Amino acid sequence: VGALSDEAVQNEAGVDLLLIGAYSTLDGRRNNGAGNGFAQTGDNWWLDVLTDDAHKGSTDDDQADLFEMERINWDASNPYILGRWSSIFAGINRSNAVIALINTIEGADLTGKLAEARFLRGHFNFELQRMYGNVPYISDENYANTEFNQPNPGPIWDQIEADFQFAIDNLPDSQADVGRPSSWTAKAYQGKVHLQQSEWDQASTLFTDVINNGPYALNGEFFDNFSAGGENSAESVFAIQFTADAAQSPNGNIGGVLNFPNPGPFGSCCGFYQPSQDLVNAFQTEDGTGLPLLDTFNQTDVFNDYNTDSFEPAPDPLPDDYVPVPTPYTPHTGPLDPRLDYTVGRRGINYNGYGRHVGQAWIRATAADISGPYLPSKNVYRSGEEGTNQGTGAWGQQHSGINYNIIRYADVLLMAAEAAVEKSSPDLAAALDYVNQVRNRAKNMTYVETTDADGNVINTPNYQIEPYPAFADQAFARKAVRHERRLELGMEGHRLFDLRRWGNAVATMNAFYINEARTITEGNYSTKFNTFEAKHDLLPIPVDAIDLSGGVLNQNTGF
Amino acid sequence: QQTISGTVYDSDGAPLPGASVVVKGTTTGTQTDFDGNYSISAASDATLVFSYVGFATQEVAVNGQTTIDVTLAEAENQLSEVVVTGYSTQTRGDITGSISSVDVSEATKAPIVNAAEALQGRVTGVTVVNNGNPGAAPKINIRGFGTSNNTNPLYIIDGVQTDNPSVLNSINPNDIAQFNVLKDGAAAIYGARASNGVVIITTKSGGYNMSKPVISVDLYTGFSQATNIPELLNAQQHGDMLFQSAANDGVAAFSHPQYGSGANAVVPTTLNGYTRVVSYNPIVRGPASASVTPGGTDWLDAILDTAPTQSGSISIQNGNETGKYLMSASFLNRDGIQRTTGFKQGITRLNSEFKLNEYITIGEHLSASFSNTVNGNQVNGALRSSPLIPVFDDEGRFAGTGGAGGLGNARSPVAQLERGADNFNKLFRVFGDVYLSAKIFDGFTAKTTISGNIESFDSRSFQALDPEHGEPLGTNTLTEQSINNYNWTWTNTVNYNKTFGDHSINALAGIEAVKEGSKGNSISVDGFLFETPDFYLLENGTGTPNVGFAFDGSNSLFSIFGTANYSYQGKYFATVTVRNDKSSRFLGDNQSQTFPSFSAGWLLSDEDFFPSDGFLNRAKIKASWGELGNQTLPANNPTVNISALSLNLANYAINGSTIATGAILRDVGNPNLKWETSVTTNVGFELGMLDNKLSLEFEYFNIETDDLITRDFSLISSTAIDASAPFVNLGTVKNTGFDLALGFNDQSDSGFAYGISANISAYKNEVTELISDFQTGASFRPGTLTRTEVGRPISSFYGLNITGFDANGRFTYEDLNGDNTINAEDRQFIGSPHPDFTFGLNLNASYKGFDISAFFNGSQGNDIYNYEKIFTDFPTFVNGNRSVRVLDSWTPTNTNAILPALSLGGTGETAPSTYFVEDGSFIRLRNLQIGYTLPSNVTDKIGMDNLRVYVQGSNLFTITDYEGFDPEIITNDNLTLGVDSNIFPQARIITLGVNLKL
Repeated sequence: VGALSDEAVQNEAGVDLLLIGAYSTLDGRRNNGAGNGFAQTGDNWWLDVLTDDAHKGSTDDDQADLFEMERINWDASNPYILGRWSSIFAGINRSNAVIALINTIEGADLTGKLAEARFLRGHFNFELQRMYGNVPYISDENYANTEFNQPNPGPIWDQIEADFQFAIDNLPDSQADVGRPSSWTAKAYQGKVHLQQSEWDQASTLFTDVINNGPYALNGEFFDNFSAGGENSAESVFAIQFTADAAQSPNGNIGGVLNFPNPGPFGSCCGFYQPSQDLVNAFQTEDGTGLPLLDTFNQTDVFNDYNTDSFEPAPDPLPDDYVPVPTPYTPHTGPLDPRLDYTVGRRGINYNGYGRHVGQAWIRATAADISGPYLPSKNVYRSGEEGTNQGTGAWGQQHSGINYNIIRYADVLLMAAEAAVEKSSPDLAAALDYVNQVRNRAKNMTYVETTDADGNVINTPNYQIEPYPAFADQAFARKAVRHERRLELGMEGHRLFDLRRWGNAVATMNAFYINEARTITEGNYSTKFNTFEAKHDLLPIPVDAIDLSGGVLNQNTGF
Repeated sequence: QQTISGTVYDSDGAPLPGASVVVKGTTTGTQTDFDGNYSISAASDATLVFSYVGFATQEVAVNGQTTIDVTLAEAENQLSEVVVTGYSTQTRGDITGSISSVDVSEATKAPIVNAAEALQGRVTGVTVVNNGNPGAAPKINIRGFGTSNNTNPLYIIDGVQTDNPSVLNSINPNDIAQFNVLKDGAAAIYGARASNGVVIITTKSGGYNMSKPVISVDLYTGFSQATNIPELLNAQQHGDMLFQSAANDGVAAFSHPQYGSGANAVVPTTLNGYTRVVSYNPIVRGPASASVTPGGTDWLDAILDTAPTQSGSISIQNGNETGKYLMSASFLNRDGIQRTTGFKQGITRLNSEFKLNEYITIGEHLSASFSNTVNGNQVNGALRSSPLIPVFDDEGRFAGTGGAGGLGNARSPVAQLERGADNFNKLFRVFGDVYLSAKIFDGFTAKTTISGNIESFDSRSFQALDPEHGEPLGTNTLTEQSINNYNWTWTNTVNYNKTFGDHSINALAGIEAVKEGSKGNSISVDGFLFETPDFYLLENGTGTPNVGFAFDGSNSLFSIFGTANYSYQGKYFATVTVRNDKSSRFLGDNQSQTFPSFSAGWLLSDEDFFPSDGFLNRAKIKASWGELGNQTLPANNPTVNISALSLNLANYAINGSTIATGAILRDVGNPNLKWETSVTTNVGFELGMLDNKLSLEFEYFNIETDDLITRDFSLISSTAIDASAPFVNLGTVKNTGFDLALGFNDQSDSGFAYGISANISAYKNEVTELISDFQTGASFRPGTLTRTEVGRPISSFYGLNITGFDANGRFTYEDLNGDNTINAEDRQFIGSPHPDFTFGLNLNASYKGFDISAFFNGSQGNDIYNYEKIFTDFPTFVNGNRSVRVLDSWTPTNTNAILPALSLGGTGETAPSTYFVEDGSFIRLRNLQIGYTLPSNVTDKIGMDNLRVYVQGSNLFTITDYEGFDPEIITNDNLTLGVDSNIFPQARIITLGVNLKL
């Protein structure tokens, strides 16, 4: 009673229902949860933890499985590896369910819906491909025949490209619902798929088309990409439509529920996803030129409050009207890119509009942990938007409604710049133009302002940012483009795949472990990390997946 | 020839109507009338045989008497006992199948909650594992694991049929007259529902023509307590353990937020940096103070309690010429050994029967019960909590991890239990039947029975705020569930029972319809302003209601069946049974199946050639073959795909703001699903020796279960859609084994009576066919622990084989494939949860008014996967507590250790391995009871028929090498057997009781 049989959904209404069901897996949440629940996330936050952008956060023993991932102690049975894997396959097969269903319905033109489903399948397969490398391809025919155990001989790029090509050819140029992809979305995504394979010429063609002819533009304000007010603006190419509705917000960002200060300015939990010192250092600019320190940013550290108490010891007995007295602290005074303080929360600076970051009292990790002194910013609701973005209910209060941009226009510009630099006939002028569009927006946006209780501005950081005057050569342009991605897109879940694409993960990560130990001095930081090896450019295939496949799946080399 | 008359009484002095009186060695016989009177013609040197259902047959020599009054004693496994075998009855001595009976009076001596506990160790071939959580149903398994699906036998309670073992909670053990288990082809009369065996319970129902009402009162009171409590580290040991871990990891100048940064751990006097929530929305923490308990908190001790238990039961039986009844009422309170947990229940029963005339009898059994269970199991939380955290802070409020570092993130197990004290799980259940039977003509009886079972379940769970916790909840939540289940059965049978000379026939044919249905929902609301039970109504929450689940479904079964028992000269026996079932759960040709069975027996000792005066008095051989089905599934429509709307999993804000409704494929169906069929062969013999004082029964069985039904997780694998895997016919499992029962009863002239009964059961389980290479069991933190593969027993443990320690004190493993890397490919089978054998031993003796009985049971040769060790022995939660086993960790000077070198984490040693596999053999004194019955001259003076007082102990001791809480492991998933994960340990129970008869 009350359940939908196959016959009941075999019509256009059924297609709509199952298609929404497929979109719903964009957030990573699946039925019959497998592996770690926080790993089942659509925003790829914990994949940043595997890079030099972020630490797991909180104390070392909290979500110890992710601690093992961060310190490059990867075991194929780690539930994080299974969690993301299984949530991706839920998405692939919910898309397959729609495709297989449309194939059985006659007398209705459902090409547009089919294109949406294939776009989604392309997205999920792309995630799968770039995370795990040697992956099985489950087609809609496999789905219809219940043949889910397919071998994983190698990459499935061709199938991914075919899905996006179908989407390009069959999606409308614009959609009434902001959550649905248009043909422009598909073109941008197809460009990203080519880019990840270093197919620069094809990527460049697609990005150029999107930039020149598509409907997208940069927002005036950088932070609109991370706020309720700026959701689905011209800069948003494709986003997960998180919504903090009532009743524990099942459509909020449940996979990201840990990633709020603990306790922080609004009593949240759980202190995860802390930006690294390395990322913060990258925002240093050269005094006067306002340009990034491409080669030298890690030779000096942005000053921080690591291992510093927020407040003076409280008197004993405690007076009734006691107000904690902050310990003396002066934030870093060197020149910085203003995007830093929309990306990272640090002591002394206005944190997402909640007033001055008090430092350690908002950080759950202690000096003994590997997590450092910073808070994430982009995924945290901005002051005044709690009503819109904050969920309700026990452990639902952090089911954030902030959209996650899978692709935003600044990303398109920077991917286009990268393709322009790398393509068979490099176009450094175009690359410079794209990078400077991004930098100029940052330059002209509203900077973070920290005020005291009376509204007087205090602690104005030394923000300096300017466009590049020129790219001297391809090597410089490459360096500049890559660095700009980190500044613009840091803490947005892209970094791991950038490093993999650039092939420099081994060198970058092993240097990072050493550099980071310079500021995280107490927790025997460097002794906790294993060496990052070439095999770590792919996640292992989960042991449970191999077991359940009856041994059809093979493990990636080295695991 | 002369006419002999008299009256047959039961042991209470009530006349027994319908008792059988037969002249021995002839076919001449009669039955007692309503008043228990009979009249029969016999030679003056003849012998009369008196028998009645549930009573020991008695033989009396006539010796020229014309009046013979007989008092029949209630049978205790006597051969001539009449046994209820389902739709009909059989005399035990004539049975050719495998039917075991529980000695009800012995089994109900222990203070049992669920009647199925009475089966434990007392019936060969039946395994019962109790759940320590009061009110939870035990897991019952008959003759090995023939299924990976549901192993619950079919229960027949008077006319009610169910495979829900919780119904046995709702039976007052004192009301049980007979408790029989059909283990082989004998169960074929129940066809499609019989392959896990059939348990038949009949309740007492009074007697016709009783001289006065018999009133029984049984009372006991006592207490339960935990036993075998694992020993954990104290605060100093815990700190030392952390510092040693850091030292082993090469952490110089280790600093711990609580134990300090010196050379050694220093236990603080108050928690460092402790805060608690002072206001909500937003959450603001304020300083608070919590003093460390000297030596640290023993969290297991903090959650465990000595728990009172009480029970009272009264029953009244009476009857006149045309009617009889039993009425009973009982109350039980069983507090759990964890704080606030417990089970309370009241049951009332009315059984009555009326004779409308000489031909027509109508009657009913009706039981109504109400129970409330308060759940909670915080054993895992207690193991995970730091010993530094006190139970209460300095202001007397619950203490927790607060904002302080180094205390882990376990919620206070005591606070969790105490805050759950007002939660409830209320169950109201009514079940019973009404029947009408008519004697159509000589030997023919027709009977129609309508039975039903209605359950109404209502639960409340309030999740209160936890301001002492480091990850506090932002709001409180009330969740209410209501579930209504019903089933009804309509059975119509005709029975023909006749003896012609040497030939005796007892045949039955019937049709039956069964329908089961279930409907329920769960709703939660958050944002309650007050945390008092008066306020706990869904409408008092400020949040939006959230529907957790809602379902409504039913299934039905239609059956035709027949059985015929034939005996020749009382020496040769044969039974044929056939049943056809049609089930709504399957499609097309798979809907219907016929289940036949045959059995035969030969009473060797009645042959002329058998020496009548030897050591051996009785010898019978028997054999049976039958096909049985299993259609019980936790799904009403397993053959079809079902999509569903889902607020949580399918909806999406496609337009960016409002939630659009979506659907997901929730269940994958399998149109080809068909029943599990077990082909069972049973051969055995029964011997009576030393004037039948010594009895021996042996049975060998072979059960081959084809088309095993289970969810196929390899079909809906990790690369599949996120729907529930379909039920499939997975393969074939073979169980072979034997049941052996030995009994000796004797009584000396001085009145000293004693008895020993022992039973041993063994089975060997082997998977002989599988649709996939292997199937895995449930997934745990380090992945799956069990694997089912052809050629091995179902659910064998699978992991790495530990060979020792390396130079750094890390485990070394067997490199199975010799590639110099230890990974998943080096896993192998490392143990089996199946025992070599299980056993029970009952000793009892009585002298004058005293009686004593002791009951042991145990298991030999089974392995247990002690999954709890990943928390107690390894740094899975670094700051949580550990077992004292870690004191024997590897160091350069202690290389012969049981555990590897201490570490702060990440050694990978919690991967499935031989470390966690332990011998689960045990022997347990399940029950010891000493009673005293007052002499009748004393009880007469105070107007009682009988008064007995006793003291009783359950689970007084257990001998086992198993290191976990309890070697009796309940696992509900049959592909994941023998995994010890967060079980509610069983209690030791001591009670003092009294049995009165008025």
